[in-house]
Amino acid sequence: MGSSEKRSKDVMSDIPTFSGENLQKNLKVIQNSRTFLSIIAGVLAGIIGFTGLTGFVFYFVVMLITSVGLMAKAGFSADLYFDSWNRVLFDGFLGGLMSFVLFWTFAYDLVHIF
Amino acid sequence: MAEDLVLDTAIRDWVLIPLSVVMVLIGVLRYFVSKLMRSSPTPDAKIVKEGQVVIRARNLKAGANFIPPKSFRARRFYFSNEENGLLHVPKDQAQNPQAQMFSDPNMAMDMMKKNLSMIIPQTLTFAWVNFFFSGFVAAKIPFPLTQRFRSMLQNGIDLSTVDVSYVSSRSWYFLNLFGLRGLFSLILGDENAIDDTQRMMQMGGFGFDASKSLGAEKDGLDIIQHEWALPGFEHRAESVLRKLVQ
Repeated sequence: MGSSEKRSKDVMSDIPTFSGENLQKNLKVIQNSRTFLSIIAGVLAGIIGFTGLTGFVFYFVVMLITSVGLMAKAGFSADLYFDSWNRVLFDGFLGGLMSFVLFWTFAYDLVHIF
Repeated sequence: MAEDLVLDTAIRDWVLIPLSVVMVLIGVLRYFVSKLMRSSPTPDAKIVKEGQVVIRARNLKAGANFIPPKSFRARRFYFSNEENGLLHVPKDQAQNPQAQMFSDPNMAMDMMKKNLSMIIPQTLTFAWVNFFFSGFVAAKIPFPLTQRFRSMLQNGIDLSTVDVSYVSSRSWYFLNLFGLRGLFSLILGDENAIDDTQRMMQMGGFGFDASKSLGAEKDGLDIIQHEWALPGFEHRAESVLRKLVQ
């Protein structure tokens, strides 16, 4: 959302109005940050040597931290910036999972097997 | 309980890293090639006109609450009037777009080009992987899978006692295929993030079905209940000004 906080929703009038362009931009921001963090989480998990379930738990922990970070950036009032809370919290979870697994495998192999 | 295999460093240098690098490069190449090859079709005047009418109707829908009720109704009547309303299309014209689409060589060529540019690099890379990199263990995935995945992941390896976590390079290829989507969206800017898998999902139906979209817009307009948002604006202006003054 950057320094110019783009409000998507105007709550002062009786009927909520959305600015489509700002909404999309905010969504892109969430997706970019989640992708980036899932890649980094994958590399970290591989280097530290998580295997099995621990790795997935680590991924969920990182995603939760991302959600909390995004909420903090949005000032804890997500409905000013997005159309629903679920987007901030859960969007991009599964998309990041594949990248996480790839980089996790990569880093794990590089460090531990070879 | 599974003994850890010790894998040759050469595998890491010459299989894992080159395969990933090649896939990233091919993705970037495909992005640029599709950008170059994007031929702009000569727009048909009728289709453009209908598209603009749809856009106007959508704007009316979006801004419906900001204009007084009478003018909204007047505009809506202009669009969805039975006799000469812009959105009302007589029934017999409804079937044209489908036939038109298939007989139009340009559109068919575009679809073919898009399909090809997607399928060919995938096929080539897969064949390359199979030819050069088969028959040995390539990587170990850090989480355990059940025995059912063995045939899928270990296709070049003929020992059945090897742990399922040790996979062949074909599965490394697939892992890359799915996992690099995120990377592409970061590198290539936000538009062309989609990539094969999502485009394959969208392949089903497209087609500029003009009459259907007009009908849909008409229905959408008819449904709208007009609630005028403006009466409360004096209060809003007052609160905004108060905030500025403080």
